[in-house]
Amino acid sequence: MDKIKGTVLRVFAKDVNTDEIISGKYKYDELDIKKLAFHTFEAIDSKFYEDAKKVKNPILIASENFGCGSSREQAPWVIKACNVSCIVADSFARIFYRNGFNIGLPLVECKDISKNVSQGDELEIDFSAGIIKNLTKNETYKFKPIPEFMQKLLDAGGLMPYLLKNNGFGE
Amino acid sequence: MSKTMAEKVLSKKSGTDVFAGDLIIAPVDLVFAHDGTMPLAIQQMGSGLSKQSVFDPNRVVGVCDHASPSPSEKVSNVHSFMRKFAVENNLQFFENGDGICHQIVVERFAAPWKVIIGADSHTCTHGALGAFATGMGSTDVAAIMVYGKTWLKVPESFKVEITGQLPEHVHSKDVILHVIGEITADGATYMSMEFLGDAVDRMSLASRLTMCNMAIEAGAKAGMCQADEKAREFLESHGRGKEYAPLAPDKGATYADEITVEAEKIEPMVAFPHKVDNVAPVTQFEDVELDQVCVGTCTNGRIEDLRVAAQILKGKRTAEGTRLVVYPASRGVLLQAIKEGIIETFLQAGASIGAPGCGFCIGRTVALGDGEVALSTQNRNFKGRMGNDNAEIYLCSPATAAASTITGHITDPRGA
Ligand code: SF4
Repeated sequence: MDKIKGTVLRVFAKDVNTDEIISGKYKYDELDIKKLAFHTFEAIDSKFYEDAKKVKNPILIASENFGCGSSREQAPWVIKACNVSCIVADSFARIFYRNGFNIGLPLVECKDISKNVSQGDELEIDFSAGIIKNLTKNETYKFKPIPEFMQKLLDAGGLMPYLLKNNGFGE
Repeated sequence: MSKTMAEKVLSKKSGTDVFAGDLIIAPVDLVFAHDGTMPLAIQQMGSGLSKQSVFDPNRVVGVCDHASPSPSEKVSNVHSFMRKFAVENNLQFFENGDGICHQIVVERFAAPWKVIIGADSHTCTHGALGAFATGMGSTDVAAIMVYGKTWLKVPESFKVEITGQLPEHVHSKDVILHVIGEITADGATYMSMEFLGDAVDRMSLASRLTMCNMAIEAGAKAGMCQADEKAREFLESHGRGKEYAPLAPDKGATYADEITVEAEKIEPMVAFPHKVDNVAPVTQFEDVELDQVCVGTCTNGRIEDLRVAAQILKGKRTAEGTRLVVYPASRGVLLQAIKEGIIETFLQAGASIGAPGCGFCIGRTVALGDGEVALSTQNRNFKGRMGNDNAEIYLCSPATAAASTITGHITDPRGA
């Protein structure tokens, strides 16, 4: 994975938790992620699912600690199922961050991104160079490139395809 | 070079000297998941790895606890899916009513120096016994179920030094709420919180479990306590004395951050809606009227917690208009509570008692109504957590919960 070009669909505040991304009340009933995705961000942003369809390659921006709370992998899955191409946040909660790479959803930690970017901005993200270009505002932001192992996960499309390709964890 | 507890356990497991920041492939001693996460892990195994068999059935645990006993057709179908997999693979499988996954793992499987991975964020609980335990998602867990290994970044450590004597009616729950209030919800992100100091040495294992359980609420990857005599006694009382081995950090180990807590100064604390790091002393909330008080969960549903609540409730009744709900953390806890007359005390006080499991915690078998206010011994007060986006949740210790049940509003247990 080298570059992604897309439009900022939302700029979220600090501490968005996994209950807000997908409420625990749904995840025991529904095993079909596509159906579950209908409820993405429902509690804090009822138009999210519909709006996500209107934008090409939606990118989400968030302040600190995005995805805190439970380990539910349904959270990154439903976001991916809404066609989100990448999430850029000031920082992520640990389990969410790991889950993102495991399912092949690129996540970028970039300090102060939530202050610099607005909804509707066009961004171009270069993963290996660690650069985000804001085409609307004509600005550039730098981030620490993703560690090699995690880059491999993204290239493979997630942990499962990576394990299949390498016949396990190797060593 | 001196090591933290996390570095020691992960060095031993990976067979090399590792320090914070190193990426390792580690063998996993125990992997578990529940009805909210295991079905997705099973699907991942099937669709991603085309494998439906586990590496070692004795090291894989499945528990139906989150929506248990099943409240709906759909959940029952999910349970059936999971049960079928468990039977086919001969897993360690626990049914509706056996208890919360973490309590089952603590009672039967957790031990010092083990690497324990659960598909649940509160897996950090098990560090109270000196294990390196952390929560992961279903894909990770699927990979572990097949290969018995996982990739881990050795975390930096955050030292939480707790000194002195806790005042009466002040518990480890108040300490951890205080700490989270101080360092905030992302104060220990990616770190191992290591709880040290003479106050921790004196704490029961139950009290340590409560603190490690909530390490994730400060963003931590793991929570850890030393494996000492208390850990040995606990393992012995559960027939697993042989699994004991001492664990302590090396002198001079490097901590990325630290905080010291003087136990004498801690008051009963409350986390107010809708964030766990919204913390203040109980005395600031005494006018908050309560529709429901909840005692239980993997944070505070152990026998020690029920004892504390029952002692305050003995001979008293819940206030008119306030409901009390009690969910023991496991079948063993419920049995012991029955033997000690604790369940009788709760019932006479007007409580409804639920089957051991997560119960009210995520609103799956007990939900709040619109505009209702609950006070709970659980670990999270996020919006919608108890099944209703228009309800408010306050968090506290079992002592504060019991005292508040009697008055019907949030109440300082030091007067009870
Ligand atoms: S009791 Fe609550 S926090 Fe603990 S495992 Fe169950 S749902 Fe999660």
